Amino acid sequence: MTRLLELQNHFTNKVERLTKLFALFGGVMLMLLAVLTILSVIGRTINAYGFGPIQGDFELVENGTAFVVFCALPYCQMRYGHVSVDILSRRFPALLSWLIAVLSHGMMSVIAFIITRQLYLGMMDKYQWGETTFILQLPAWWGYAAALPASALWLIASITAMMAVITRQASAREEPSS
Amino acid sequence: MTSFEIGLTSLPILLVLILARVPIWLSMMAVGIIGQYLILGNWNPFFAQMKTVSYSTFSNYSLSVIPMFLLMGQFASRGGMSKSLFQAAKAFVGHRRGGLAQAAIVACGGFGAICGSSLATAATMGQVALPELRKHGYSDKLSTAVLAAGGTLGVLIPPSVVLVIYAILTEQNIAKLFIAAFIPGFLAILGYMVTISILAKRWEKDEVPAPRASWLSRLQALGSIWPVIGIFALVIGGIYLGWFTPTEGAAIGAGATGIYAFFNGGLNREGFIDAILETALSTAMIFAILLGAAVFNSFLAFSRVPFEAAAMIQEMNANPWLILSIILVLYLILGCFMDSLSMIILTIPVFFPVFQTLDFGMSLEDSALWFGVLVLIVVEVGLITPPVGMNLFVINKLARNVPLATSFKGVLPFVASDLVRVIILTAFPAITLFAVHLLF
Repeated sequence: MTRLLELQNHFTNKVERLTKLFALFGGVMLMLLAVLTILSVIGRTINAYGFGPIQGDFELVENGTAFVVFCALPYCQMRYGHVSVDILSRRFPALLSWLIAVLSHGMMSVIAFIITRQLYLGMMDKYQWGETTFILQLPAWWGYAAALPASALWLIASITAMMAVITRQASAREEPSS
Repeated sequence: MTSFEIGLTSLPILLVLILARVPIWLSMMAVGIIGQYLILGNWNPFFAQMKTVSYSTFSNYSLSVIPMFLLMGQFASRGGMSKSLFQAAKAFVGHRRGGLAQAAIVACGGFGAICGSSLATAATMGQVALPELRKHGYSDKLSTAVLAAGGTLGVLIPPSVVLVIYAILTEQNIAKLFIAAFIPGFLAILGYMVTISILAKRWEKDEVPAPRASWLSRLQALGSIWPVIGIFALVIGGIYLGWFTPTEGAAIGAGATGIYAFFNGGLNREGFIDAILETALSTAMIFAILLGAAVFNSFLAFSRVPFEAAAMIQEMNANPWLILSIILVLYLILGCFMDSLSMIILTIPVFFPVFQTLDFGMSLEDSALWFGVLVLIVVEVGLITPPVGMNLFVINKLARNVPLATSFKGVLPFVASDLVRVIILTAFPAITLFAVHLLF
């Protein structure tokens, strides 16, 4: 049993590291979006001198933000960072708290699965209809495709977090985040 | 059951789930999914919705301002601006009775001008000001309470993430909301300072005021906070003047605070990674709630509950001031155990249509701005009220030897000051709207 738990903790740590990496990746993307936006504003301001705004900057920011958010979701899952209200639950018996935590994480895993699967199907739809973005005429499925790995990692993170809660390996981690 | 009944039943179920410590976004999502199924009778619309709802919610241009402002706040926290703000405020009021505590409040207000989040403001200013307050003999009760209350200025003074979300949910102009929140924000600083000067006489026996600073050093201290003033003026001024969209303003703010923090040594490898991870955490948290709300609200729209509720209120012909007061009190109660953003995202889709049916003798836009500012203040009170006052928890982490109960006692006079402000601003909408009418 302990051997199994060790294996599980090992796996949890690996997933945690990976989610951190994705979150950092998303953060770098966010900073790139900020730089792009600043350049576009500068270009627009000095328009007269042969510069101009970056074409399709809004589109890039929109789709980039979606990427940033998807990259952040797995990390939030592993940090147990989602907002919840624990005013009553502090008085719950331990078993009830545990059950609720397991059920919540189970539901989150199901929803992460549905979102990931439907994201994939949505991507296929966009691909088949040849939908493109408004200004840059980029294929709309690109954004979906870029978000898909992060969404899949979110699913893995949800299950990992659920397993950690089930085997009570997570209680130590489950401090409310500041 | 009719759709309307399903919609009505869903609300207590949602509340039970939330109180059972099911994450808020998940509660909204689950209730929304099942409610929609019960109304429509099959799963197909749900699966069709799920193909695009996550991506389209996350790739909404007006929402992209949120991660940008969060990043700006994270950079600002690491830039050392909190220190120069506190020193500057101290040079002006530090020699008075309770002056250092007042300086902490003013500095929180200043920091709120470049940071849109309450918790970040409390944490950042707490690190700078708490040790100084204690060194000068302030009691634990007052010093922790001052910083917890001051933290709310992070959101009350624009830019403000809560206002951004309100603006998006109610389709109001963000620039106008920021301007509208301005004078109430100043009143908050003023109210807290008055509260401190009253408390200092009663509570503080061992307080040692700082020596009076010369005008030269005051001006020098003022000079050292130019980056804060500059960044604030650029971001808010630029958005107001229509030079750029809120997202662009936030990007410029993030860039400016980032560069400043970098040259101040606040963004070494570790600080940088930390800033990014914290931004990611808050981003995921907020967008998950927005996603849950998107599903829940489309279910509510099917059930027609917001519409019927609004119609019912209109038929009742009740006194609008009474309804408004009930809504505000509800927020105060909810605030005791919920955080401000979840509260806004959860309730505005129902409360706002109801509010819009009320006639206060002003234009729809004016009343929406006024309501936004009032809601902003009452939900922020929730951050310092027991039993779940997030700001106090943050300060408590910095001052571990102070029992939470002590801080909660200390913060009550500040809650009272908040309530007085809410009453004044409710009774005189002109205070809030004056600046908007002047500038637009």
